[in-house]
Amino acid sequence: MSKSSREVLSFQGGIHPSGDGKQLSSGNPIQIAPLLDRYRVMISQNVGKPPKPVVKPGDTVKKYQLLAEADGFVSANLHSPTSGKIIGIVDVPGPMGTLVPAIEIEADGLDEAAETWPPIAWRDADPADLLKRVGDAGLVGMGGAAFPTRVKFSPPPEKKIDTLILNGAECEPYLTADHRLMLEHPEKVLEGAAISGRMLGVSNIYIGVEVNKEDAIQALGRRASEYGVKIATLKVQYPQGSEKQLIMAITGRAVPAGGLPMDAGCVVQNVGTAAAVTDAVVSGIPLVERVTTVTGEVVKNPGNWMLKIGTPVIKAIEFAGGVTAEPGKLILGGPMMGFAQKSFDVPVSKNTSGILLLPVSEALTYGSVGCIRCGRCLEACPMNLMPCLLGNAVEGEKFDIAAQNHVMDCIECGSCAYVCPAHRPLVQHMRRAKAEIRKRKK
Amino acid sequence: MKYLELTVGAVLVYNFVLSRFLGICPFLGVSKRLSTAMGMSGAVIFVMTIASFITSLVYRYLLRFDIDGRTVDLGFLQVLLFILIIAGLVQLIEIMLQKLSPMLYQALGIYLPLITTNCAVLGAATINANNNYTVLEATIFGFCSGIGFALALLLFSSLRERLELAAPPQAFQGTPIALVTAGILAMAFVGFSGLC
Amino acid sequence: METILFAILLMAVIGLVLGLVIGWFAKIFQIESDSRVELVTELLPGANCGGCGKAGCSDFAKSVVSGENPPSKCPVSSKEQVTAIALALGIDAGESFQQRAVVCCGGDREQTKRLLNYNGVVDCVSASLVAGGPKGCSYGCLGMGTCARKCPFGAIEIINNLAVVHRELCVGCGTCVAACPRGVIKLVPADAEVHVYCNSPAKGPAKRQVCNVPCLGCRKCARAFPNKFKVDGFKAQVNYEAKPLPTADDVQAVGCPTGCLLTADEHLKIEQNEPEWSPEK
Repeated sequence: MSKSSREVLSFQGGIHPSGDGKQLSSGNPIQIAPLLDRYRVMISQNVGKPPKPVVKPGDTVKKYQLLAEADGFVSANLHSPTSGKIIGIVDVPGPMGTLVPAIEIEADGLDEAAETWPPIAWRDADPADLLKRVGDAGLVGMGGAAFPTRVKFSPPPEKKIDTLILNGAECEPYLTADHRLMLEHPEKVLEGAAISGRMLGVSNIYIGVEVNKEDAIQALGRRASEYGVKIATLKVQYPQGSEKQLIMAITGRAVPAGGLPMDAGCVVQNVGTAAAVTDAVVSGIPLVERVTTVTGEVVKNPGNWMLKIGTPVIKAIEFAGGVTAEPGKLILGGPMMGFAQKSFDVPVSKNTSGILLLPVSEALTYGSVGCIRCGRCLEACPMNLMPCLLGNAVEGEKFDIAAQNHVMDCIECGSCAYVCPAHRPLVQHMRRAKAEIRKRKK
Repeated sequence: MKYLELTVGAVLVYNFVLSRFLGICPFLGVSKRLSTAMGMSGAVIFVMTIASFITSLVYRYLLRFDIDGRTVDLGFLQVLLFILIIAGLVQLIEIMLQKLSPMLYQALGIYLPLITTNCAVLGAATINANNNYTVLEATIFGFCSGIGFALALLLFSSLRERLELAAPPQAFQGTPIALVTAGILAMAFVGFSGLC
Repeated sequence: METILFAILLMAVIGLVLGLVIGWFAKIFQIESDSRVELVTELLPGANCGGCGKAGCSDFAKSVVSGENPPSKCPVSSKEQVTAIALALGIDAGESFQQRAVVCCGGDREQTKRLLNYNGVVDCVSASLVAGGPKGCSYGCLGMGTCARKCPFGAIEIINNLAVVHRELCVGCGTCVAACPRGVIKLVPADAEVHVYCNSPAKGPAKRQVCNVPCLGCRKCARAFPNKFKVDGFKAQVNYEAKPLPTADDVQAVGCPTGCLLTADEHLKIEQNEPEWSPEK
């Protein structure tokens, strides 16, 4: 596949963030984080019901041992990241700014693993066995949503799924965790894709990668055909990695308003989750660590680390050599859709794709003025909404008008707020509208 | 051709609200919501058509007639009679609406009985009389004037619904910016002048 | 002479015809209306606040006339107004239960730490969606005035980034309770003077880290007056069900170590006496 003849796919709308900051960490190989003496594993790391703890204070646990058991269908198991003693359930600052319960483990420094599950020969295995393994291993979407993978791979029978898309777009500025993973472990990602395809009964499998990750495309391309996976090269455009935009770019199908990817016959999965699927099925180990980008202009040695869940963010920053200047803002995830944090004690969870420290100058904020009706947000919105009108509706507290104009379809990608010359906090308005509309429906 | 001229003239060129400046009160009063504006428009179209028909009948055959070769001229009763008839019609509409659509009745509120004193309806009847229209012409004129009123009201209420989402300076919020908008709308309608 | 006669005749005939048509129409389109509903609607305050659980005052009036609700269900009407409605309808007024809103938080700008440099939309709902709000305490008042803007009676004022209730204006309709994303505002019996101004269920030391005036759950109040206060988890509460309710003297007697046990008047006064506060702001 020569570079010139290659088709580069994309969707309509979106933006091109300038200076994407990926060069800070994209060249550094994934490093294994040193063992800490204490981990605080948040109990609720998945969308849906939090799992039920099955350990008591004083118990000794081994690495990979079950800490909390899935409570219901939309829930996920939780396993110990290391061996040690359970101290108890403590309150830790969560990524959403509230205190959340976490299981505190005092590590014994041995990192002794419990017995792992037997590997499954997935090429001939029953999809139900594979699904059960994925559920047992506590897999959730590692791109950010943290939706339990077992549930995602059990679509209702009336939904016909014909395409599996692996999301390696990594369109968020600064983040390089998926890039490094694809580059260093392409076979793990590809095998995970093939296993996921078997679970869904789908043979049409794509990996979508943005063209700025040329080395990853080549690494994957060398072995893709072995696993029956096609590589789709995508234009560098934000939000290319949003599932609805990815489906549009690769298959040309639109997900109906208010619908899920399965309504367009697709399932979208992050490449990190695919690698975790391989670990669970082939190596028999549950999800207890992940690749996370620790980066930012003020971080001394930006890079990617294999972090155990429950690692406090402050420790992760210490692994990266600490800071060179006073940070202005701490963000979990990418700068566009990540969440600003109040505390450095937030633990890393299954969906922490990045730890970003912005310098004071980057975290600069502007006062916003009224809408000047330039229409740039209309061009930028990848969902073809009218952010300017929605913003005005929220400012006037006319939530019914916002609902009529499909505010619920907003994916909160932040493209509108990024391009707005009046610096209007549009995403915050959308979020408020969604919260108010949900409250009214109750 | 004559009827086309009459129609276009009544709807666009000599629009009751935006060129003759009649019926401004409900134009400002019930234009906040498109739905109530639609109800009001329907009521005005109905009253104007029926009122034009009846008043032109009264004007042509009852206000001036011959008895024993002498002409009896009751022209001085014109305004009095017209208002009586319009008031009666509005009363009918009110009774009907109260039963058929209580929500609309509530939303229109005081503006419904005020159609009685709405100069647009009386204006239509008077213009009919002054131009000596036949009964058919008068009815068409009344209906088209109603359509013209409805057009202006619907345009304006849609604009006002959008205006609610804008944030004008505090001094302009509410009625002032609505009046400015109405003025600009009227200027736009000047563009139709000379069409017929 | 003839003209006058004809004029009178014409007017009379047209008047008669119209009158007959209207009368006929009125008969066809007759609607059942209860004049008592209008009467009750007029006697109600007309604020349409929805505190009674109905869509508005006229809706409530209908339910009163039909016997679904007693007149006293209106939280805004005074005792005299309720009695007037009951008299007009010849029914029992029902047990009057007046409530007042109270903002269970004393953490103003000076008292509670801010961990985030927030400069987004000045609205509590919006702010609570960004990292749970800028305040260190994720249970306290955000102080951006969503409740104050929603209050139909203008009874809530934001002083020093804290909502405070003017009790003489509050009628207990509950609009603010529904508006607050944090659930800091509670409805309490109108005659309750003393409240625990803390809403955080977190542990004492955690609260101490972010706030100067938290309830530490020290049980001092519950030990002094076991009937009047109860401790729920790490937070004390006034036992509003038990009579008598605590008084200002009881507050003195307890001597709350952090000063979160206050009378409503003290809560207002403390905020108004803040050095940086001025009513013009």
